[in-house]
Amino acid sequence: MTERSSGAGRKALRSRPQVALFVTCLADLMRPSVAFAALALLEKSGCEVFVPDQQTCCGQPGYNSGDYESAIPLAKQLIAQFEPAQYVVAPSGSCAGMIVHHYPRLLDGEWRERAIELASKTFELTSFLAEIAPLQADPIPPERTPDITYHDSCAGLRELGIQRQPRELLRRICQKDVIEMQQSDVCCGFGGTFCARMPEISGKMASDKLANAMATGAKVLSGGDLGCLLNLAGRARRQGIDLEVRHVAEILNGDLDLAAIGESE
Amino acid sequence: MATWTWPLSVRANRTVEQHCEDFLDQASAAMAQPERRKTMDMLGLLMPLMRGQAVADFGDFEGLRQHVRAIRQHTLDNLDHYLPKFEQEALSNGNRVHFARSGEELNSIVLGICQQHKARRVTKGKSMVTEETALNDYLLKAGLAVVETDLGEYIIQQAGETPSHIVAPAIHKPVAEIRQLFLDKHALGERELETAADMVTESRQVLREHFLASEVGIIGANALVAENGYSLLVTNEGNGDLCATLPPVLIVCTTMERIVPRTRDALALVRLLARSAVGQSISCYTSFYSGPRRADEQDGPLETHIVLLDNHRSEILASDYREMLQCIRCGACLNHCPVYVAAGGHAYGAVYPGPVGSVLTPLLSSLEEAQLLPNACTSCGRCEEVCPAAIPLPQLLRDLRHEEFRTGLTAGRWRLGLRLHAWVAGHPRLYRYATGLGIRLLHRLGRKKGGFRHLPLAGGWTSQRDLPAPQGGTFSQLYARRQRDRDDD
Amino acid sequence: MTDEARREILTRVRGSCRGAGAVRIGEELNALGRSPVAQLPDPDLAVSFLYHVFRNRGSAALARDRSEAVRVIGRYLYERFRSHKLVAGNDSRLAALPWRDGGVLPRFGIAQDGDQAALSYASAAAAECGSVFLVTGKGNPASNNLLPEDHLVLVDAGDLRPDLDQALELAQSGPAGQARPRGINIISGPSSTGDIALQLVQGAHGPRRWHVVLVGDLAADTLVRARQLAGFTQSEE
Repeated sequence: MTERSSGAGRKALRSRPQVALFVTCLADLMRPSVAFAALALLEKSGCEVFVPDQQTCCGQPGYNSGDYESAIPLAKQLIAQFEPAQYVVAPSGSCAGMIVHHYPRLLDGEWRERAIELASKTFELTSFLAEIAPLQADPIPPERTPDITYHDSCAGLRELGIQRQPRELLRRICQKDVIEMQQSDVCCGFGGTFCARMPEISGKMASDKLANAMATGAKVLSGGDLGCLLNLAGRARRQGIDLEVRHVAEILNGDLDLAAIGESE
Repeated sequence: MATWTWPLSVRANRTVEQHCEDFLDQASAAMAQPERRKTMDMLGLLMPLMRGQAVADFGDFEGLRQHVRAIRQHTLDNLDHYLPKFEQEALSNGNRVHFARSGEELNSIVLGICQQHKARRVTKGKSMVTEETALNDYLLKAGLAVVETDLGEYIIQQAGETPSHIVAPAIHKPVAEIRQLFLDKHALGERELETAADMVTESRQVLREHFLASEVGIIGANALVAENGYSLLVTNEGNGDLCATLPPVLIVCTTMERIVPRTRDALALVRLLARSAVGQSISCYTSFYSGPRRADEQDGPLETHIVLLDNHRSEILASDYREMLQCIRCGACLNHCPVYVAAGGHAYGAVYPGPVGSVLTPLLSSLEEAQLLPNACTSCGRCEEVCPAAIPLPQLLRDLRHEEFRTGLTAGRWRLGLRLHAWVAGHPRLYRYATGLGIRLLHRLGRKKGGFRHLPLAGGWTSQRDLPAPQGGTFSQLYARRQRDRDDD
Repeated sequence: MTDEARREILTRVRGSCRGAGAVRIGEELNALGRSPVAQLPDPDLAVSFLYHVFRNRGSAALARDRSEAVRVIGRYLYERFRSHKLVAGNDSRLAALPWRDGGVLPRFGIAQDGDQAALSYASAAAAECGSVFLVTGKGNPASNNLLPEDHLVLVDAGDLRPDLDQALELAQSGPAGQARPRGINIISGPSSTGDIALQLVQGAHGPRRWHVVLVGDLAADTLVRARQLAGFTQSEE
């Protein structure tokens, strides 16, 4: 009998998705509330979440800048840390896209096999909550939900097909539709090191994005990638544009009282 | 008979030059001109909408794209079969076929043909290949009068500029600039030049004279058909057809990667081309030419030449960048690239701007000269998404950046920064320690204001935007603390 | 120079290819199948064809038979130019039209600069994108497509094909056609340009107007349906 019940217990435990949270370096350093929100959302949705404590960076800065050689050890490090997990979830389309699309390309031989295996169980947060572990969270009272417009971050959109998922989740939690801006699928000008290498062009792109966002009349500009959001919040501050920039995970978790990105405390 | 005097401007060489080394300054100059910026923003907004509609109307566009991709890949894989086959068929149609290894060779072949016929007047259809070889300058120096007849090309020729877009060469020019240009260059007396239509009427009048008087017509080709030696040309204006019909000598300047096996493959390519380029289902004029006029005909060239330019293409064929040879020159990647729309075509300082140019320019010149171009990319992937040839442009650009890194072309401070970051990130304990300290400091300095206007070592970032202040404490610190607190409870 | 260049280029190309035989290459090519074609906006071929003609900024008229076609052309010329002058190629089908019915007497041959209107007889037409196929030659010198202000094209409804491939096949097998004609001009609208600030202007170099006369026993509402489908109201014809 003990055997049977412990077996059933293990099975019940197994049926909860086991998620390793890839915090991503930007959330780790610049905005821990995004990672805490992701953690909370996953737990509310019935996942058992653990956070590998040696995680650092997925290697994107080097990889996208052409330094494949230094991205390789970081890729291997991340694979070794995360491959025991049933699922890997990251609150970022570009970091998840790096693992899903670029690791298998970057690595060879046995490591490529391991990369492909990891890629098959790695998800961006909103797609995971829309498709694998359906989001279970309480709607925010309508009087507290601001009008939101949404920026589709490029890697999430084009490498992972994330477009519908965050909008569906926001509709469930905020009980209203995202107000669509013109050219929501056009790059905000971040592009990793691009924004520092070609700042003027990047600044123009960010301004275009902010103008499109402002034209919707929304109070909040949201998105799923902290890189884009830091870029846009920083540009909005510089230009004196009154727009709250918030990560989608924070909104879904109801963290609307937090200072928005780039806002003083 | 009255002699036609050629306007002086036709003889003028290019007066405006750009270089790819100066990408950033040239982009900056373009962005500083509000009228030009407005035109480019309109391009970036309208073209994607029009293409999107045309693609949706087609139905199985993805199937078409993959079909043409497979055909073109097959053609490149078997170019050793299709190239001689095309040559043989073109010869049997009565063409003379020439091979040119370099731009210079192409130019001298073309000049030789003109001189053989004692030609002085040449009309040209739009051809990016002859832009690549700077044929106009070469012929002008030799004393020939060369007129571009595509309206956009004509405008920039008059202005002494180079094309800023591979399909719409004068897209950077606001209407007022074109009006002034025509007023300065054309001696047509009193006339209306208020609207774009007025200006089109005027250039039509001027160029019609050129068509009727020229002795040689030069055009490019959108495809070459191996099975029957036809060349295909697509235009909306009909200028290419006029060049190929009225002058007694026709020269087609093209490259070997335009070859497709069959006419029906050329038609499949046509299905992709106008939809991708301008959102039309097909261009107004889609013409196949076989060769010289036949006995019972009243028009058409008496002699036809096809010049096949290599100019590094056989090297590209042998390289990891082979997919670039599948490009059909539609310009969709330009229209959809926010960097191109912001910087403008001239910023690239090369014949081919935008994503396609940022890959091709280093391959056609050198990575050293063009090293900035592969970096003019945010990896946003929109170019690949719309590329009718499904060329993985962002990946090719990244691979070029990799070459730069490998060969030491990447600037020293970037190399150092990236390597340092990677090294620290490869040592998790050190990473935790260092980032923990740094973030605490940044938080303390920035929390009151919420962000930084200036920051040492982050000048690239802070030149255009504030750096939002970190929330305080890294996630790993806060999470570890939380776990400890929970364990203590 | 060019011989040496040829040798060198071909050698380099050979070095990057796999040297497969013609038979194998042909088999592999055939295995790649056929190109998908554009979906038609309407099950009726004529409606789909005219839909695209309108979308391509062309105009169109219907005629039940050749006699009516000539009358339609006569009216068109009179309305546009207050004249009945017309150039037409030495095409036996054009020569055989009952010209007197429309009061039009064409000049047969090649168009010159300054001609107002030319008429061509299409060898085929494709509903896929509203294109007419003209075969270069005595029956239709390419100048006739390009030099006049207006280009009129007669299309027999029986020569309509759903897609470009089938239309091309017909054009190459028709009376004017041959296996390898000197030129095939697929025309799908009036000469136009967007080179000045993306503003679409007709009559860049060639015809400002492109008028298709579709001849055959067609449903009376064919034109109206095509126009509505293309998003044009009646008055905009």
